[in-house]
Amino acid sequence: MSKPRVAIFDFACCEGCQLQIVNLEEEILDLIHVVDVVEWREAMSEQSHDYDIAIVEGSITRHEDELRLEVIRSRCKILIALGACATIGGVNKMKNNFDLNDVKECVYGKDAKMPHLNTDMTKAVDEVVPVDAYIHGCPIDRKEFGTVIRALLLGKRPPVPDYPVCVECKAKENVCRYEYNEICLGPIIRAGCGARCPSSNFRCFGCRGYVDHPNVEAAKEVMDKYGLTVEDLKQKMILFGSKQGHTL
Amino acid sequence: MSVLKFTPKQFDDFVSAMLKTGRPVMAPQAKNGRFAFGPLASPADLRLDYDVTILPPKKYVLPQVETLLEFEVCGPCRSVQEGQPMILLGVHPYDLTAILQMDELFRQGQYDKHYMDRRCQITIIALDVVTPSANVFASSMGTATVRSGYDILLTVLKDGSILADVATAKGQELIRLAGSVVPASEADLKARKDVWEHNNAALNKHILLCKPSLLPKILEQNYNHPVWEEKARLCYSCGSCNQVCPTCYCFDVQDRVNWDLKTGHRFRCWDGCLLENFATVAGNHNFRKDRAARYRHRLYRKGKYVPEKIGGQIACVGCGRCISACTAKIANPVEVYNRLLQDTKLG
Repeated sequence: MSKPRVAIFDFACCEGCQLQIVNLEEEILDLIHVVDVVEWREAMSEQSHDYDIAIVEGSITRHEDELRLEVIRSRCKILIALGACATIGGVNKMKNNFDLNDVKECVYGKDAKMPHLNTDMTKAVDEVVPVDAYIHGCPIDRKEFGTVIRALLLGKRPPVPDYPVCVECKAKENVCRYEYNEICLGPIIRAGCGARCPSSNFRCFGCRGYVDHPNVEAAKEVMDKYGLTVEDLKQKMILFGSKQGHTL
Repeated sequence: MSVLKFTPKQFDDFVSAMLKTGRPVMAPQAKNGRFAFGPLASPADLRLDYDVTILPPKKYVLPQVETLLEFEVCGPCRSVQEGQPMILLGVHPYDLTAILQMDELFRQGQYDKHYMDRRCQITIIALDVVTPSANVFASSMGTATVRSGYDILLTVLKDGSILADVATAKGQELIRLAGSVVPASEADLKARKDVWEHNNAALNKHILLCKPSLLPKILEQNYNHPVWEEKARLCYSCGSCNQVCPTCYCFDVQDRVNWDLKTGHRFRCWDGCLLENFATVAGNHNFRKDRAARYRHRLYRKGKYVPEKIGGQIACVGCGRCISACTAKIANPVEVYNRLLQDTKLG
């Protein structure tokens, strides 16, 4: 049986999630043992229009990118969104909080109206085309990347957690950030990272996006219990949570 | 068997001798201003004065992730036993009670050989509570002290000396590592009795207003009580209460394949009945999809379902960890049970 052909594409992002694939190091040999990588700008020169699986990194911020993405979708059987920019729009979605002209002017100054600098509101990949599988995080977790790819190759549903980060944080026996009267997004954010930030004495920044049904209503009242405000909470949600559907 | 008396120095020597055997000694140590069980490196790190650990020592009898078997896809499989000899040092009575409950649960019905194999290799040195934690209510649950189930029971007396009650052959074997320690005197045993009497009353930051044995009856009458909705309204479904609970033993079973796509392993990992998809089954049907139903399930399990399986012992041991761990501050079982009690006619 021939190996599935895989192409990796990038849109608006820092390409750090692709870099995590490169960082698989020796495991890359295992990966290319089971798939044929036919296009991957960051790691090889070859290109191809013929592939079974497309791995798409980055958010969609221009009309021409939407068209390019639609072509990619039409050529693949399975489309995987790779990393926070692709799965939830990522930090790029912060600009959706502002007027687009103000954003352009702030960034590009007098050149704001130059055609090659044109930009639209940021979209996650699934706001443009259907997505079959998600590899969350900023950046992605290399181990999870392997788990998702192997599950898909066997025709299984990838085991991506649907519970909050607290589960993994408690398992690590971290002291809850709320005990330090700090806001942490862990209770409403999808696990799978192994609670990496709280385990390094940071709060959860929310890069993996919300769980399927976050209790956002609870968040408001819970802030009161810690002498914090909803405004404090909103501030913390801007980085990865802007315009994500579940907003306060 | 016998009760021996250690000076603090003699006890340190005993701990050092245990460490020298090469068997891992898991014991309470300071962690970021709190306490956690972990591998002990030196007697100096041991904190016999700990109040409560973030996770209970159940993590050693039922690890968060445990490989059960290795398999070939569509081929043979091989059972994996990961257990190893281990000394669990400093287990509080309420946590010991919880482990004994789990022993019974994994023994009855389908005998769980992964659990039992691991458990049989563990020697438990229990420890009477020295410092009550902020939310402990073991006195209310009748678990503040224990009279059996340990291999050795330690009690720290007011003068700093430590009594060791050796109860089993396993304990006897271990205590041989202690040098020449003297048997406890009548006065020492009286002092220990005072510690027990004190703890039986004082580990009670939240007071259950009825005997725990009444809980199954109280719960039976309150399946549709408004408290479930009221509390669950603020529930994040984060499962923190399950994770930190010494009596929660539910697990999920998953398979992972290796890069050859032919070999793999099956493991179990902790699950929690508060998590949204805990009760999701094949076909994506979730038979407990409301937060309130999940919230109620936990308290029914502690107060009714598990006791009915194991002969009456309530499956809440009063450690108070869920009260501290719940970000929304809705997990306190005593608060809920007292509320139900108030609205129940017991005839």
